[in-house]
Amino acid sequence: MAKAERFVEADNAEAIITRIEHKSRKIESLLKQYKPVEALKTALEGTYAMTGDERCKSAHWIVVHRTIMAIKDVDGMLSSLDPEYYDILMKYLYRGLATGDRPTCDQCLRIHEKLTEKAGLGCILRFLTDTVNTV
Amino acid sequence: MSSTRRGNHHHHHQSPMASTLRPYLTCIRNTLDAAMCLQNFPCQEVERHNKPEVELKSSPELLLNPVLICRNEAEKCLIETSINSLRISLKVKQADELENILTKKFLRFLSMRAEAFQVLRRKPVQGYDISFLITNYHCEEMQKHKLIDFIDIDKEISELKMSVNTRGRLVATEFLKQFI
Repeated sequence: MAKAERFVEADNAEAIITRIEHKSRKIESLLKQYKPVEALKTALEGTYAMTGDERCKSAHWIVVHRTIMAIKDVDGMLSSLDPEYYDILMKYLYRGLATGDRPTCDQCLRIHEKLTEKAGLGCILRFLTDTVNTV
Repeated sequence: MSSTRRGNHHHHHQSPMASTLRPYLTCIRNTLDAAMCLQNFPCQEVERHNKPEVELKSSPELLLNPVLICRNEAEKCLIETSINSLRISLKVKQADELENILTKKFLRFLSMRAEAFQVLRRKPVQGYDISFLITNYHCEEMQKHKLIDFIDIDKEISELKMSVNTRGRLVATEFLKQFI
């Protein structure tokens, strides 16, 4: 299983929220430097160090959503993104697709098609069957 | 009658909205493809030979994450998967879209993907225009429940657009009781 997926002992929610805020600042900095893939990786890292608390999930989603929307070159992003991030990205894409927000769905549909080409149906399968580690 | 034939639109670059139809259908197709991988459970007599079934024996009422794929605020597809059945619900922007989306191609994909499956039309899930229940059976005895002849899908689509099929709903209810 990819490192990003391993369930780790959860910190308390407050510590997680603080960590996400810190991550958020780092991401804004990376985006200003036109490093959207680095920003995405940063956003996707450590998303499983959570209690399953809805607040943490929302906070994580906001940060990941920001980086997903900043991607202009999807092909370029996927060729430089480590495969270990595919599964977690797929989960967030489905979260995006569920929002119904047109620009978000637009972007997520675009990425979903290419990610599936790259990662295969197994990536979707793992999302469907993982009822424990939800985002 | 206005006709936004987005399904047959050849100039996707002209309309930003039209440009998401293809990725939307592709996403649905890919998701269904993956979901239906999990539907290949043979009859009870031979289930012991099926590896995935063996692995899942500890969770007989396995319900997977329901998947909601939205194209925008008004158009969406809900896919609900359980161990031996799959329900797809669609909400479309216009009634005309129903025929565009439910093209022979889309449904033919479903029929080609599974070795033997039945699609039952039932009352749509709350908030959606149409729902399909898909089951994958190899059992001979299930053939008697077959309602829809897939050779005659155009007629089926016309019927869908007119009204809910009461008979279909009754039989679907009986059929679905097995899953409860």
